[in-house]
Amino acid sequence: MAMAAQWLTKSMIYSFRLEGRLRFSFPTTAKTLEGRFILSTTRRRRLFWGSNDCQIRNSSCSSNNNKSYLELSDEELMKQCEMDTFKSSGPGGQHRNKRESAVRLKHLPTGVLAQAAEDRSQHMNRESALSRLRTLIALKVRNSVNLDEYSPPQELLQILPLKSTIRPSDIGPQIGPKNPKFALGMQALLDLIVAVEGSVSEAAKFIGLSTGALSRLILSDDALRKAVNDLRTVKGMKPLK
Amino acid sequence: MKLSITRACQWHASPLCANLQRPICYSSPKLYTPLLLRPFNYSASLSDLQKWHNWAKSLLSSVGSTFSELDNGPDSSLLSRELRWLVQDAFEEPSLFPQMGFQNNRKHVKLRVDVDALYSLWKQRIVERRPFQYIVGCEHWRDLVLSVQEGVLIPRPETELIVDLVSELVRNDERFRGGLWADLGTGSGALAIGIGRILGQGGRVVATDISPVAVAVAGFNVKRYALEDVIEVKQGSWFEPLKDVEGKLVGIVSNPPYIPSEHIPGLQAEVGLHEPKLALDGGANGMGHLLHLCEGAASMLKPGGFFAFETNGEEQCKFLVEYIENCGQNTFCNVNIVSDFTGIQRFVTGFRQ
Repeated sequence: MAMAAQWLTKSMIYSFRLEGRLRFSFPTTAKTLEGRFILSTTRRRRLFWGSNDCQIRNSSCSSNNNKSYLELSDEELMKQCEMDTFKSSGPGGQHRNKRESAVRLKHLPTGVLAQAAEDRSQHMNRESALSRLRTLIALKVRNSVNLDEYSPPQELLQILPLKSTIRPSDIGPQIGPKNPKFALGMQALLDLIVAVEGSVSEAAKFIGLSTGALSRLILSDDALRKAVNDLRTVKGMKPLK
Repeated sequence: MKLSITRACQWHASPLCANLQRPICYSSPKLYTPLLLRPFNYSASLSDLQKWHNWAKSLLSSVGSTFSELDNGPDSSLLSRELRWLVQDAFEEPSLFPQMGFQNNRKHVKLRVDVDALYSLWKQRIVERRPFQYIVGCEHWRDLVLSVQEGVLIPRPETELIVDLVSELVRNDERFRGGLWADLGTGSGALAIGIGRILGQGGRVVATDISPVAVAVAGFNVKRYALEDVIEVKQGSWFEPLKDVEGKLVGIVSNPPYIPSEHIPGLQAEVGLHEPKLALDGGANGMGHLLHLCEGAASMLKPGGFFAFETNGEEQCKFLVEYIENCGQNTFCNVNIVSDFTGIQRFVTGFRQ
């Protein structure tokens, strides 16, 4: 079993090292964006935006509808998605030996698209696409925040470093960017930063952190950093480094 | 089957033999260790590997769309992905390889096969159209990496869905979670292992196959995933090895040979020349084994038991559903056709009344 585990881990690391791609667009707004998501050899995620203004504002719903997307289980989220069917030439199945295992998911309620092609099995590509979809929904779909009565949601508290003065001690260890639950916290953090118009020092006050500590948190995830910096650029502020 | 035996003999006789592990047991079929599991006993300089890689790339570029026009085989872009996977499986530091410059060319890279073998393997891939999965000795299927070799069907991505169907039942119902399942014609053991991993306390799978090579390879894979206590692999035709559990199964799954015999000569070379006919050829209309499985399922399943069979597509699905409804005397209920990820009607599922 130890051997099997080692084998799997290694092969999974290798497939991560391959270049993956992802495209997304948002037909729900007049603007359509296209970007690429690259998992490079260092596993670093880079986003190339077609535009700086890339937030979808979820103004029509007050019930934080979109946040619930990220709370769904994989199966539930999958049910809201259309999996792109490949124009398969021929009968497939036993007839065929072609490793065309790329998966593209379209999340119907938001129109967010995620794709994965770097893995060697259908199943693993679906998992990769689904996890990218979660990150993209977190990055792209905004909830409005009422700053007068702001209290950080549980998901946000969980990604805060322990030194935050408002972080309850019983909330468990800090959730990092590699944990799938990070997307939820990241979404809430972005909601707050958008509400304070990109000011890190303002946002830091709401979550009991110093400006420096919040900056470090933002810089710890490349996708999050990119999203915050894009917002700051639009607002005429210096990007975080 | 004859062809694949011929192929296997050539394989044994090739100079590559030196690189292959000795068979595990002399009385059972020879098992070959997937590339990925072999030790790094070899090494080569980056410049020699670069030379090999350039040669391999030019060989695959020369293919262009010839194979895909000829028999719907792979084109250059697919072969280029396979070359990348070969590097992944054979090199200790695959990430280092595509980026290396002209400095450091004397640096040595550890390998699981020697450079001569790399040349010979890639030549087999392009010239003989030997399936990539037999070249590296494994296939990635769901979250598994399964050993495969000549004589065993390479599990297909379409088949992955059967595990999802079973998973849904198992999650919601203790009887399925803790019951006895059968995977008939298990091949590499893919379905049995996929299901074995999601069952709960007391859940078991019996996997059968008529081919001794398949039984040996499936056994190897079961062991690799440490499922010997959950999955029993038995040699024999379809239900034959299951006589002692008649009426006791909670589920039966199978991906039987379903290609109509007249389609076999037109198959892409990777499949038609190299994979076992025994696992592909479904007889005159491809339905013989499927019908046999349906009949057997009636007596082998417990009341409420589930079955899922893979078929050749819409025509076979409809034929099977009609057969079950007309001749089944209300043996089964909730009979359903399920499409695969490409949208082709692929599976027939149902429950024993």
